[in-house]
Amino acid sequence: MTHIYLPAAFSLHPFFQWCDSTAVGEAIRDSRVIFPIVESIHLLALTVLLGSILVLNLRLLGSGLRSQQVESVAKSLAPLTFWSLLTMLVSGALLFCSEALKCYENPPFWAKMEMLAAAIVFQYTFVRYAARSARAKRPQHILAACGSLALWFGVAAAGRAIGFY
Amino acid sequence: MSILEVCQWLQDTQIGTAIRESVWWFPLIEGTHVLALALSVGTLIVIDLRLTGFIMKDRRVSEVSRQLLPWSMTGFLIMFATGALLFWCQAVKAYGSIYFKLKILGLLLAGINALIFEFRTRRTIALWDADAIPPLRARIAGFTGMILWAGVIAAGRTMAYNF
Repeated sequence: MTHIYLPAAFSLHPFFQWCDSTAVGEAIRDSRVIFPIVESIHLLALTVLLGSILVLNLRLLGSGLRSQQVESVAKSLAPLTFWSLLTMLVSGALLFCSEALKCYENPPFWAKMEMLAAAIVFQYTFVRYAARSARAKRPQHILAACGSLALWFGVAAAGRAIGFY
Repeated sequence: MSILEVCQWLQDTQIGTAIRESVWWFPLIEGTHVLALALSVGTLIVIDLRLTGFIMKDRRVSEVSRQLLPWSMTGFLIMFATGALLFWCQAVKAYGSIYFKLKILGLLLAGINALIFEFRTRRTIALWDADAIPPLRARIAGFTGMILWAGVIAAGRTMAYNF
């Protein structure tokens, strides 16, 4: 499968092939226990990441933790979001290396990566602005929350779909 | 009838068979079960982190839990509903899986932990509600909850590798 946005000359296939052949990828593939362990860590981090994002978005929508200012909720949750995201990226990269060539042929994987890139950019630009700037008002809050929920839950759903495809 | 026979009967029912053999229902129910983790355990962790004195230390414990617990409970309702359907369609495999048994054990212990907190530790909440770091008893309840839920999630994920 050639990826839809790239002309054949810029194929990422060699990169996927290289990832697949790394020692890390091979070690995970050869072991019966490492993959489930890394996958469990990936899922635990997902719980914290989506949980912290969900709580902030509920506050932005005005239906959770209303007794606190949006900004103070955002500040409390920022470390949870950051560290769980980092854990997801690292554990995700390990899982990827063990089956990079399989991922290359897997449409949900590409959908996930595209939504992930968009979600990270959106979270650390617009959501951050909406949650922390005094100039951001209700419409920005609602837009930030809906966009963030759609993107992150889209990433998670596409991630689950990788295994079903 | 043994438990195994009940499981066999359950997954042979029309609904059990329909879910198992469907193209869309199984992935949709499974996907919902995974995504609802955010609403159930995800929001509960925020409460537990306040209870253990890690975040929102300048807010009352009761203030944080009162506003988030309804969301957690909604999440757990979705978890139990989708989880029951998943069990329904593959009861025999689940019954034979050690990880499924560990998961149920973890769920029971998490329930007991929550009940002890609700009916014992919480009775004195007026004394420590505003404390940045609540007393040891409350913190133990928070830590125990987080560890048990992590175990439940890991066991639930590992289950699927042995199916």
